Amino acid sequence: MLWLQLLVNGLETGCALGVVAISFSLIYATTKIFHVAHAGIYTMGGYLAWWLVTLGVPFLVALLFAVAACTAGGALIQSQLYARLERRGATHLVILIASLGTLAVMQNIIAAVFTPNILQFPIPWASNVVVLGGSVRLTWAQLLTIAVSLAAYFAVMWFAHYTILGKRIRAVASNPFLAQITRLRPQSVYVIVVAIASAIVALPGVLVPLDLGLQPYGGITPLLTATIAMIAGGVGSLTGAFVLSIAIAELQNLSLLVMPGEWSIGITFFIFVIFMLFRPTGLFAAR
Amino acid sequence: MDFWFSYITLAEIYVLLGLSTNLLVGIVGIFSVSQAAVFGVGAYIVAHFLLAAEPMSFLPALGIAAVCCVLLNVLVTLPALRVSGDYFVVTSFGIQLLATAVFTNWTAGTGGANGLPGIPPPDLFNHPLESTGELTLLCTAGAALGCLAFYLIMRAPFGRLLRAIREDESAVAAAGKNVLRAKVSAAALAGAFAGVAGGLYATFLSFIDPSSFDLDASILLLTMVVVGGARTLAGSIIGPFLLLALPQVLTLLDIPTTIAASMRQLLYGLLLILFMMFRPQGLAGGKL
Amino acid sequence: MSAYLEVAGLQKNFGGLQALQDCSFAITQGRITCLVGPNGAGKTTIFNVITGFLRPDAGHVVFCDRSLDGLTPQQVVHNGIARTFQNLRLFADLTALDNVMVGLPRQFAEEPLGAIFRPLHAARQQTKRREEARATLAHVGLADRADERVRNLSYGEQKLLTVARVLATGAELLLLDEPASGLSAGALDSIMALLRRLQNEGKTLLVVEHNTRVVQQIADDVLFLHQGHLMAQGTPQQIIADPALAEIYFGGAI
Repeated sequence: MLWLQLLVNGLETGCALGVVAISFSLIYATTKIFHVAHAGIYTMGGYLAWWLVTLGVPFLVALLFAVAACTAGGALIQSQLYARLERRGATHLVILIASLGTLAVMQNIIAAVFTPNILQFPIPWASNVVVLGGSVRLTWAQLLTIAVSLAAYFAVMWFAHYTILGKRIRAVASNPFLAQITRLRPQSVYVIVVAIASAIVALPGVLVPLDLGLQPYGGITPLLTATIAMIAGGVGSLTGAFVLSIAIAELQNLSLLVMPGEWSIGITFFIFVIFMLFRPTGLFAAR
Repeated sequence: MDFWFSYITLAEIYVLLGLSTNLLVGIVGIFSVSQAAVFGVGAYIVAHFLLAAEPMSFLPALGIAAVCCVLLNVLVTLPALRVSGDYFVVTSFGIQLLATAVFTNWTAGTGGANGLPGIPPPDLFNHPLESTGELTLLCTAGAALGCLAFYLIMRAPFGRLLRAIREDESAVAAAGKNVLRAKVSAAALAGAFAGVAGGLYATFLSFIDPSSFDLDASILLLTMVVVGGARTLAGSIIGPFLLLALPQVLTLLDIPTTIAASMRQLLYGLLLILFMMFRPQGLAGGKL
Repeated sequence: MSAYLEVAGLQKNFGGLQALQDCSFAITQGRITCLVGPNGAGKTTIFNVITGFLRPDAGHVVFCDRSLDGLTPQQVVHNGIARTFQNLRLFADLTALDNVMVGLPRQFAEEPLGAIFRPLHAARQQTKRREEARATLAHVGLADRADERVRNLSYGEQKLLTVARVLATGAELLLLDEPASGLSAGALDSIMALLRRLQNEGKTLLVVEHNTRVVQQIADDVLFLHQGHLMAQGTPQQIIADPALAEIYFGGAI
């Protein structure tokens, strides 16, 4: 039952993508910055974990270290680069270019240090296969990805709606001007948001390469797909971003039944064009 | 001597690309990482017609390439700009990645990852230009015409309209002008420049492959405009000449070839960050 | 005979705030009408709706028997209505002359093809239009400041420039958003004289103003807006003399 296998694979890719999408959405909805360098953070997390694992560090510790490093990296970019530029009255375009430059720097440092070749995690248990329902095959890495991604989604939803910090973030996101004059201190909120989002994106950053391997320039396509999911789901809607990520991943996978894999970016882009032409605010746009 | 001709010719081709990127990014203020994709489309189209069983003459092929690139840019910018600037960021990335996928996988049309070798030299009115000197002259003419066109539009009401749009779009609309049409016209023109540059590139190098037209190439184009200076003719000329000289300077540093490409891209990224932080107007440009 | 500009039943809600509430009024051609009212009454919102910057939740705008509903800002200008902004929104890095020239309609080479393929014609046409723009600047009293960058102009001069820019469009109905605010006494007199001059030349003006002296001196009609609704309408004397309105406007007697 090929299509069932494709569906389940799509669920796994979609969940991982969903985490990337909600992390990017957090940043974009709050800071209004299109943080392209997020793809660099995603990649960096994976490589750091890989490096630690090759040194003999247990996987879980490596994962946690990657999360910590990404948190710091993201916070650094926001506070030292974006915040400074905004203070100088930089336009949107200037910040975007700086973000792109940061991405290029990160990707190429990784390529120089780790070579541009695809690297695999030396973790045997990750590729052990589990068979579900008699015909669907999933590796432990894929199962872990689904579990962790769903957990991350629910954690972020709980955080955004039930904690004081989460509510403060949502307040700043919905009205930055008002936030400025009512002592919500948007700038420190921005740093916190980027830090949290970077922490979250480290998870798929490490888990996806368990399955597919590491590549220095492998962050931009997931990021692009995630932003399309975010837009299609409606900017500001975390659930929309997550659900649309799964939907896009499923469509991509099912398209494999009719066309070669190299063209899957075409599917994603086609979906984007449809939304842009007919429903640019997405399906579940926040009010 | 041949080395200098090569450098200058390549720089002149990139001047056209610099003008193209400057129009979009510097003057209209659109963040574009898909300039290399359009450049590639121009190159592959001209290569296709020159390599055909019944080869077309160079200038008509160039014309077709230019028109196609104009249409491509219009198709890409029009729907995205109607919605918002950030939409165009996604569109631009998407176009660039899609183009690279097409260039690499559509083996029938583009030769796939191996590219298209053996592209014949351009011919002007049945006289093939085979020597490096003649090619340099052709590219000089192309670059000069491009600069002239750029200069003319910037001092015309169109240029003033674009400058005003950059400052305050709503005020321009309130003055009765169609902002979207102006932006898309600028994008169309940028497409023409990129298409012509592509055609010249294909015949000059006589071999093209997807690696010259990928995201890294778009980042290089952006860096040229940022370093040279946004919004000005001078910036569009200085940027390419400087940035193309950079790899030569880097070879003096004795960097191992395995990481040379990454080092170059790293440098471009660093330049982007540093210029945005400390000199957003570049060396000879206006404020970005 | 139907009104020159008619606004009927306008409703606009911004996320819970009712900016316009069944707002209706009419403007007579050739007169200077002042739109007054406390802050938040909806005056700028009305401008935004009339000129196509905002779509109302309900209601219509009709100008010279033509509906303006759903038109874009540039289409509204082509129909003969132009507006200024409270915060000026001039093109700071351009000269005063260039600011005016942006407003001139139907220029040659306002698109790339004409500029590239007919450069000489374009240059000749530009010279002609430039003279037009200079004349407009002279008309508002900025003849000698034409080649200055906007950032080098005084606030009063910048305000005059905003009027020049709308004049350049050739619009017959001018919507001016607080043209006199923040001006010194001398600049105030210049602007009021200018507005009267424009009226004598056949323009119709709808002016948002807070300054009661200005309203008294130039207004033929006054529309008093409160909470997004037309509360009163009359001559300046009638409106200013009404104690109930003063209460609303100043929160107490003058």
